[in-house]
Amino acid sequence: MASRSELERFLIDVERRAFKQAVFAVRDQDAALDIVQDAMLRLAEKYGQRPVAELPMLFHRIVQNAIRDWFRRQKVRSLWTTLLSSLAPGREDEDADPLESLPAPGGEHPDEALERTQVLEILEKEISRLPPRQREAFLMRYWDELNVAETARAMRCSEGSVKTHCSRAAHALQAALKARGVKL
Amino acid sequence: MNESQFGNQVRHHLNEGLDLAPAAAERLRRARELALERQRPEPAPALRWADNVLGSFGGWAGASLRLVLPVALLVLAVMFIYNWQQSRTIAEIEEIDSMLLTDELPIDAYLDRGFQSWLKKLDEDE
Repeated sequence: MASRSELERFLIDVERRAFKQAVFAVRDQDAALDIVQDAMLRLAEKYGQRPVAELPMLFHRIVQNAIRDWFRRQKVRSLWTTLLSSLAPGREDEDADPLESLPAPGGEHPDEALERTQVLEILEKEISRLPPRQREAFLMRYWDELNVAETARAMRCSEGSVKTHCSRAAHALQAALKARGVKL
Repeated sequence: MNESQFGNQVRHHLNEGLDLAPAAAERLRRARELALERQRPEPAPALRWADNVLGSFGGWAGASLRLVLPVALLVLAVMFIYNWQQSRTIAEIEEIDSMLLTDELPIDAYLDRGFQSWLKKLDEDE
């Protein structure tokens, strides 16, 4: 059973990654914040008493469901808006200052810092271009460090499907980064 | 580079992009606080022992089988033994009564002091 402090530690650990994953999916920072907020509330209200070990799987399942719900609502609201947003892969957060997300260099050469920021931007853009299921599986496995079984439970699919999604995502990402001359 | 190594490299780079704009970070913090406020409270400490006891028996369903059933059987067994003892005592009293009533010696003789002292003296002589 997760205590308040355990739930808090879990949310602090996961909230930023969840936000970025929602941004990759919906490409809208405000919508992504709404999604993560709803997911946090739903987790605390409905699953706040579940064991700590189950929280990552439950939270990711809630986030993925919230993202799908958001797409359904968008589709109902305006088919044209959805179509246009998928045709315009450019950043929608153009107002955001890139310097705000630049990590503290700590003695790093400005060129290196710029290169790292550019690599990160390209990487994030290519991740957001992956098919949704591949992206979900890959990020849960390698960013959130869920094992195959946990990822399968979160995605409500078989472990074999998770492995297939991850493998395809890794190959697609490697190919896309190579095409853009980026080496991790 | 295999899939696992590539995944680790991606994680390393993505973690570098986790520094959010202050407004987004603040909104996440507020959302977290709100969520923590809405977490269902834990059971009161005074009642937690009951959960622990029931939990050790596998919850309410387990408790009904492993705890309530043996206790009910024990109560039934005690009630049966008590009834059996009562009926045996009554039977003994009935037997004594019938022996006294069917004896040739009148029952009033047992109330007579002289008869009792004669019985004592008879025992001492023997």
